[in-house]
Amino acid sequence: MSDQDQDNPRRDFLRKSLTLIPVVTVASTGLGGSMLMATPEPAQAAPAKPAVSEKAYEPTYFTAEEWAFINAAVERLIPADEQGPGALEAGAPEYIDRQMNTPYASGALWFMQGPFNADAAPEMGWQSKLVPKDIYRLGIAATDAWSKAFNGKAFAAQDSATRDDMLRRLEAGGSEVTAHFEAVPPKMFFNLLLQNTKEGFFCDPIHGGNKGMVGWTMIGFPGARADFMDWVERNEQYPFPAVSIRGERA
Amino acid sequence: MKALVIATFALFSSCSVSAAETDLIKQGEYLARAGDCVACHTAKGGKPFAGGLPMETPIGVIYSTNITPDKTGLGDYSFEDFDKAVRHGVAKSGSTLYPAMPYPSYARVSDSDMQALYAYFMKGVEPVAQQNKDSDIPWPLSMRWPLAAWRWMFAPAVEAHQAQAAADPVVSRGAYLVEGLGHCGACHTPRALTMQEKALSASDGNAFLSGSAPLEGWIAKSLRGDHKDGLGSWSEEQLVQFLKTGRSDRSAVFGGMSDVVVHSMQYMSEDDLTAIARYLKSLPAVDPKDQAHQYDKQVAEALWKGDDRKPGASVYIDNCAACHRTDGHGYTRVFPALAGNPVVQTADATSLINIVLNGGTLPATHAAPSTFTMPAFAWRLSDQEVADVVSFIRGSWGNKGAPVKANEVADLRKNDMRTTSGDDLGQVTQRH
Amino acid sequence: MATIMKKVDAVIVGFGWTGAIMAKELTEAGLNVVALERGPMQDTYPDGNYPQVIDELTYSVRKKLFQDISKETVTIRHSVNDVALPNRQLGAFLPGNGVGGAGLHWSGVHFRVDPIELRMRSHYEERYGKNFIPKDMTIQDFGVSYEELEPFFDYAEKVFGTSGQAWTVKGQLVGEGRGGNPYAPDRSNPFPLEAQKNTVSAQLFQKAAAEVGYKPYNLPSANTSGPYTNPYGAQMGPCNFCGFCSGYVCYMYSKASPNVNILPALRQVPNFELRPNSHVLKVNLDSTKSKATGVTYIDAQGRECEQPADLVILGAFQFHNVRLMLLSGIGKPYDPITNEGVVGRNFAYQNMATIKAFFDKDTHTNNFIGAGGNGVAIDDFNADNFDHGPHGFVGGSPMWVNQAGSRPIAGTSNPPGTPAWGSAWKRATADYYTHQVSMDAHGAHQSYRGNYLDLDPVYRDAYGLPLLRMTFDWQENDIKMNRFMVEKMSKVAEAMNPKAIALLGKKVGEHFDTASYQTTHLNGGAIMGTDPKTSALNRYLQCWDVHNVFVPGASAFPQGLGYNPTGLVAALTYWSARAIREQYLKNPGPLVQA
Repeated sequence: MSDQDQDNPRRDFLRKSLTLIPVVTVASTGLGGSMLMATPEPAQAAPAKPAVSEKAYEPTYFTAEEWAFINAAVERLIPADEQGPGALEAGAPEYIDRQMNTPYASGALWFMQGPFNADAAPEMGWQSKLVPKDIYRLGIAATDAWSKAFNGKAFAAQDSATRDDMLRRLEAGGSEVTAHFEAVPPKMFFNLLLQNTKEGFFCDPIHGGNKGMVGWTMIGFPGARADFMDWVERNEQYPFPAVSIRGERA
Repeated sequence: MKALVIATFALFSSCSVSAAETDLIKQGEYLARAGDCVACHTAKGGKPFAGGLPMETPIGVIYSTNITPDKTGLGDYSFEDFDKAVRHGVAKSGSTLYPAMPYPSYARVSDSDMQALYAYFMKGVEPVAQQNKDSDIPWPLSMRWPLAAWRWMFAPAVEAHQAQAAADPVVSRGAYLVEGLGHCGACHTPRALTMQEKALSASDGNAFLSGSAPLEGWIAKSLRGDHKDGLGSWSEEQLVQFLKTGRSDRSAVFGGMSDVVVHSMQYMSEDDLTAIARYLKSLPAVDPKDQAHQYDKQVAEALWKGDDRKPGASVYIDNCAACHRTDGHGYTRVFPALAGNPVVQTADATSLINIVLNGGTLPATHAAPSTFTMPAFAWRLSDQEVADVVSFIRGSWGNKGAPVKANEVADLRKNDMRTTSGDDLGQVTQRH
Repeated sequence: MATIMKKVDAVIVGFGWTGAIMAKELTEAGLNVVALERGPMQDTYPDGNYPQVIDELTYSVRKKLFQDISKETVTIRHSVNDVALPNRQLGAFLPGNGVGGAGLHWSGVHFRVDPIELRMRSHYEERYGKNFIPKDMTIQDFGVSYEELEPFFDYAEKVFGTSGQAWTVKGQLVGEGRGGNPYAPDRSNPFPLEAQKNTVSAQLFQKAAAEVGYKPYNLPSANTSGPYTNPYGAQMGPCNFCGFCSGYVCYMYSKASPNVNILPALRQVPNFELRPNSHVLKVNLDSTKSKATGVTYIDAQGRECEQPADLVILGAFQFHNVRLMLLSGIGKPYDPITNEGVVGRNFAYQNMATIKAFFDKDTHTNNFIGAGGNGVAIDDFNADNFDHGPHGFVGGSPMWVNQAGSRPIAGTSNPPGTPAWGSAWKRATADYYTHQVSMDAHGAHQSYRGNYLDLDPVYRDAYGLPLLRMTFDWQENDIKMNRFMVEKMSKVAEAMNPKAIALLGKKVGEHFDTASYQTTHLNGGAIMGTDPKTSALNRYLQCWDVHNVFVPGASAFPQGLGYNPTGLVAALTYWSARAIREQYLKNPGPLVQA
């Protein structure tokens, strides 16, 4: 199946599905009188995928199957489109794999003494015994199993529309998904994946993501220059390109 | 809960000391600060004045000697022995000292100051048993007799300092300190091939304090009246402030001078600092066409508009402008100005390249305890980028320094000989 | 066996703002002082080295400079009927760690206090009657007045190098039309530095607030508007709005911190010693339990040490001070059932609401530009600057644009309804990242009988000691006030005429969410006051029960202020230090008779 074949049905699919997304209400008050709802715009078809030219990164934590999943998932969470390169091109998979070897991924930054109460109300914060490394391992396995139960293909082998649909269901964490997720709540898995993908899209390139500072360039973040003495009061577009900690300019 | 009494110095002599002698020792301590004896005669992390600091010289490494009143040091030195070493460059053993010991300058120290110094080193300094270390200079260069010949040729006769005729007594005092104990010329006066300073006083001509060739990666800049690379743009008051605190409104101390401020200058009285400053300000410019800095606003205006096309400008914007500003003025007393700053316009750009590569820390002084650190950029910038940005700084805002090339940066990256930031010597000044 | 260290005159637990101020004041008085800081040594160099410090992932996301809660955290429950659970990841609040404490990585909003908030109960009773204050609300007077504290506010501002615009100085009007705050109390001196520049967002807020009829003023900020030298000779660089403020070491030396503003001077004196990596376990008391003999701590190598001292200063973060008192047996623990006891009572917080306004591409708010303390605010609804009578709640709230710098991972906000991922998210993020204004109502928070601190019966720290337990939830008064403030602030947002607005306030019945950041302005638990039955400390921050223990910090606040607490914390610490220097040292004993 070529990209071209996928894209038209996908666009239609997205148009319909976007209207079904429960509105993510940023505001939590009932004082809605002055709240304006922006209408989500339909996503555009992705342009031809930019070539990933560099030597491929070899993951050190993820297995081949897991690596395929990570690549296939981040590519949908922040897709390449007319706004520019996405999480895949930015190196988010490399970033996530590298993070798996940090104290963060083994939960060493958190208070992990028991007893645990994983069913506590969300406002009690993180109460799970699971740490990021476990959540990826368990979450990817569960998602692939769920995917295979659907049509025999692993998540990474699904077309992009199906992947989007699956990610959306993980995000919502509905009962039809939860049934396939014994060991890890799908929402927890999705939230971690999305958070880490955004980190990989927007972090300084020293961490392995945001290659070529594509994330920063897309939004106009100047990076590690951090000097705005001349620009504080000016209602103008800031002119200099992003710069990384290592000193590369976008 | 009693308040602490902090003694300026402790007495280490076992015999009783009269009040007059206490004053003399105290004066000697002050003069030892003026002479910055501790800087060379204390090893990294070592006991004060016990020697052992390695000094790189063109012919090999030499080690400073123990000058504490222990028998491994000056313990059995009479006043005459002490005087022969300090003012004449001849050790008790009869051998000539390496001219790293600035006896050609110390020759100008008065007899009464010598008595005070002797009293301090014999009774005000803690004796430390520590054998002197031989130099690493290979034979035959290690033979000391050629040094005697050098001494005969270049060291001046010891005589009472002659004040310049009709001079302001303050200038005269300044000359005594600068040309004598302060031995400023040891670094700031160029040396001939035979290693002697080309001039030992203002009366010896324009070479005196006109700036040195690079030493340990730094240029000791000209202290003469030139605006471009001397002290022409400095006021007497700024100089006093600089010597006392290591900083002035538009400058900050770096390189070897940091140690001088920390160990020596900050202890000088306001009167002596004023004398030093006024004397230095009396030295005329070397360049007969010397002119005051004319600020050129072109670069600042371009950067304000977001135009960084000038070569080196983008490196400057990404690395330097946060502190030194797009207008090159820096921030008063905190981050030095680059516009019109003489240290960035010296003929040899070694100091500027070195500081871009390796950064530097402004030392804490009693009157100005804040330390500011300029980070190193060697890890972040290529030789070409350093050359670009150094050339940009030397040629912007009205600066008139010549551009530099990448190979000059490459040489310095390899040859950087800076061994100490001075911090490790800090405890010496704190405890006495 | 503990190693017994050489006795000192004073030992200070924690080297943040209060520890540093006390160390400076007590060494000036000639005392031998040792400060024990449980975290590592840290300073502008190398911890704030440019440009390595400009790293959002390391600092904001992985929270490098904050307290290491893998070793010690707090447990939280909403009411006495719940089982408390550990705060396993840093969320609602971010206490500091290491030399400088939170003072090294705070934002720098540097207020004084609204005078009525120092006599909260008396003021409300006088104006609105006793019945206006809800029964379970335990607000109290501080026991010290603005007039008494004014010289110490003034001195603290000089030490911090605070930027701002006075309204009146010694009764003379100086700030009208120039960014002064008409609700601010009189001052003995202008701010040491003029107010910082206004970002585009602050300019929009200023214009809109004035249009609505409010009175905008420049936030007082401990980010410098220019180079500065403080009374200790310590120097600061100028703030260049780098946008990496809260959570970061300021590479420009322009955000006031114990490290930049006080430590350089302390390094020059021989009667001060700072011991990092020294974790205090408890204050040791003599057999009478009315006098401390020193503290026990674990040193960098894990050895147990005892530091004898004549004077003990608890200068740790708010809840660590309270926990240390509980672990040491200083003062009677609070019991919410009987409403008796003093240590742990009146635990209060901050009551935040936020509005975000989104603009077209021709409004360049450039949100990556920012300084933690800068901005434009209004006080029309702060303290008791409006008639609370018709509204039925206690407390007020300043409102402001305080653009501190939004960074891309954590700082991207999109209009309501935008999906969290995919192309639509991407487009919105690209469209709005540099075109939005965020404004906050930084509400006061009152104290209640049911919100308190004690020791947790289940969870323990890395040394086997019980964790502190917070029993805390939002009360009806808090929600009412929060909704009122959102409504008032939305008028300013609407006057900016944005494309979209997002409101983030509290819902009726909403519980305290431990995971989403509120502020780190936790107050109370070891409060000051005039009555030893209802306060742990007297008006000089001296323990009623153990006269040689002083406990400076926001732990002494009987309730939360509308303003940020650091200014009052610093002033109270100087006030307390003055009392130690001028009264206590001459005649050690209680400074106020119980």
